[in-house]
Amino acid sequence: MAVKTNSGIILATVEEVLSWGRKNSLWPVSVGLACCAIEMMHTAASRFDTDRLGIIFRGSPRQSDVLIVAGTVVNKVAPMLKLIYDQMPEPKWVISMGGCASAGGPFPTYATLQGVDRIIPVDVYIPGCPPTPQALLWGILQLQKKIKEKKEGKEFKEIPIRVPTESKPIQK
Amino acid sequence: MSYWIDQGKVDALKYTFPYLKVYKYKDVVSVEIDTKHLKDFLTFLKEDPAYSFRMFIDFTVVDHYPSTPRFEAVYILFSPHYKQRIIVKSWIEGDSLPTATDLWKGAKWAEREAWDMFGIKFDGHENLVRIFLWEGYPYFPLRKDFPKEGIKEVYLPSLNERENIPSHDYDPYHTPIPTLEDLEKTQKRRIDKKNQIVLNWGPLHPGTHGTIWFMFDMEGETIKECDIILGQLHRGIEKLAEDLTYTQVIPYTDRMDYISAICSNVTYVNAVEKLLGVDPPEKAKWIRTMLCELQRINSHLLWLGTTALDLGALTMFLYTFREREKLMDIIEGIAGIRLNSSFMRIGGVRYDLPEGAIDIVEKFIEDFPSRVRDYEDLLTKNRIWMKRNREVGIVSEEDVYQYGLTGVMARSAGVPYDIRYIQPTDAYAEVDFEIPLGTIGDAYDRYLIRIEEMKQSVKIVHQCVDRLKRMKNDRYVATDNPYVLPTLQETYLSIESMVKDFNLRIYGEQAPLGEVYLSGENPRGELGFYIVSKGEGKPYRLRIRSGAFYNLQAFPELIRGKTVADAVALLGSIDPVVGETDR
Repeated sequence: MAVKTNSGIILATVEEVLSWGRKNSLWPVSVGLACCAIEMMHTAASRFDTDRLGIIFRGSPRQSDVLIVAGTVVNKVAPMLKLIYDQMPEPKWVISMGGCASAGGPFPTYATLQGVDRIIPVDVYIPGCPPTPQALLWGILQLQKKIKEKKEGKEFKEIPIRVPTESKPIQK
Repeated sequence: MSYWIDQGKVDALKYTFPYLKVYKYKDVVSVEIDTKHLKDFLTFLKEDPAYSFRMFIDFTVVDHYPSTPRFEAVYILFSPHYKQRIIVKSWIEGDSLPTATDLWKGAKWAEREAWDMFGIKFDGHENLVRIFLWEGYPYFPLRKDFPKEGIKEVYLPSLNERENIPSHDYDPYHTPIPTLEDLEKTQKRRIDKKNQIVLNWGPLHPGTHGTIWFMFDMEGETIKECDIILGQLHRGIEKLAEDLTYTQVIPYTDRMDYISAICSNVTYVNAVEKLLGVDPPEKAKWIRTMLCELQRINSHLLWLGTTALDLGALTMFLYTFREREKLMDIIEGIAGIRLNSSFMRIGGVRYDLPEGAIDIVEKFIEDFPSRVRDYEDLLTKNRIWMKRNREVGIVSEEDVYQYGLTGVMARSAGVPYDIRYIQPTDAYAEVDFEIPLGTIGDAYDRYLIRIEEMKQSVKIVHQCVDRLKRMKNDRYVATDNPYVLPTLQETYLSIESMVKDFNLRIYGEQAPLGEVYLSGENPRGELGFYIVSKGEGKPYRLRIRSGAFYNLQAFPELIRGKTVADAVALLGSIDPVVGETDR
């Protein structure tokens, strides 16, 4: 991003410096919904210690820039989760943690929201039920990459998903 | 020793109430009475000293669509004096039933749930509102004619671009989602503002241990009225279970109470084994007991860490999570998954213990008592901790029976109600342990009890380790039983096992006709499963009696006249898990 000269001066655009700062101090809202919240707590606690990555959980959405949707989003809590997302200042990112938040997971029922991306846009999806702390850290690092590359004008290359073309869904 | 009402008493009951019908499946006794005499009968059972079924365990409804009358009410009661249980059933004429809230306060939420899920009205209920869904929701989801996917009527596509990712069954239509106005209406139906301010706490507040929504009607600093809105994690597990085979329900039981997944697994599996008449091998019983107790330590550690964090002691959070990581590693090593392990199977466990598992458990329980001593040094005589916890939320013996409080809540009031002792399952009958009891019944007592329970769990694990060392090559799953899935090895090597595996997986375990209620001692209280089988491969109705649901119900009464700061300490000491209260 930057040009170093012998005189100790670094040249960069303001956008680049800002994105460098943003990606190294992601402050998530401490909102836990279900099982994934326990793994999120483990990620923040003694062993995995997200503080060393500049990730500090905040109690208020006004102070944070990442929303980690940790757990099943049910229909009743969906408007309130959207309210929290709306209260966060720009720029903001969303990590969808686990199968339930990403696509309803093992709960295809009347009460469950089938994917949090139906109410708020998602930046990173993390698979798992629940994802291990390592997987959550991977997701956060992925988000950091995304923030960095977007601001440099490059297109973030998504991991290609292989879809079988022949098979058809099972008819009930 | 049977844990259900004995034959002599049933005969005496039949003499007093001649129109009574008695059903028996294994040792589970249920009596049926008509709706007209139901209230008198329940009052008789509660008041008569020869029966004294004073403790309310559960109330639920079973839908027998399309037969008429359609709904059947089910009460489960416990007699603390005789240590016996009974199931009282009654066919509901029309769609209303007299309320039982004047007999047991604990029936209040259970009846709200029956209204919410089945549309049964209760005459005389003080405020019959929807408990899990919101006001204005038009359906009654647990009725048999309601589809489990719900009715998709709102166009709600993904906000992310999905051009090149053809998801296999992506449906842009969705079940209805409430608006903020709907939720406001729900809130207004619960509490009338009579004092200065109505304070909302939750649902997405870090101090509420999940997604519980509290409302306090406050006069200055004092809480005058309180009500709780549940359902922020209602995922419909009971509805889902009606469409799955008995084995397929196991993963849902650990997503219910995700902090003590193995305990829920074991309780469910025990209930199904009782229904099917499967007897697991000795080794599986000891493995289950050992893992249950490790999970109990794990759960109490999370409780200790988060409650102390809420009350301002951050160090405890870091300390207890260090030990939790060790326990999670042990469970991951044995079961393969850290949190929601689904390790239990009908008739045994999934795998044998891996090599070295016993050694590492032994190492852990040698080291752990010194850690507990550290926690006690930090908290037990800590002046702030004592000030915050003492005299907060005092539970009396009568409260325990009225609300059906179980687990640590009951024991803090001095009631020796522990399922491990009253009705031992697995290897609990053979291990030696003590049940700590409280004297005052406040939050500080509950803290002391949980600390002591961790020590007792270590004692039980010691005994399990000693026993398991001598059972190196024993069987860990009873695959000779026709209801038990064969192991992978057997499936690959013999054609009979392969056919059996196919049949059980596709058609499910064809359970005999009957009903079963079995409970287990979860870290949060009594977790019970009431299973009605109609001779199919799936449960006809699976009712989950959640300990946290009933324990939380006492909260509004216990907090009255206290401050918001006490609410944090009290909620911490009740220790609910929303996955289990809402299911």
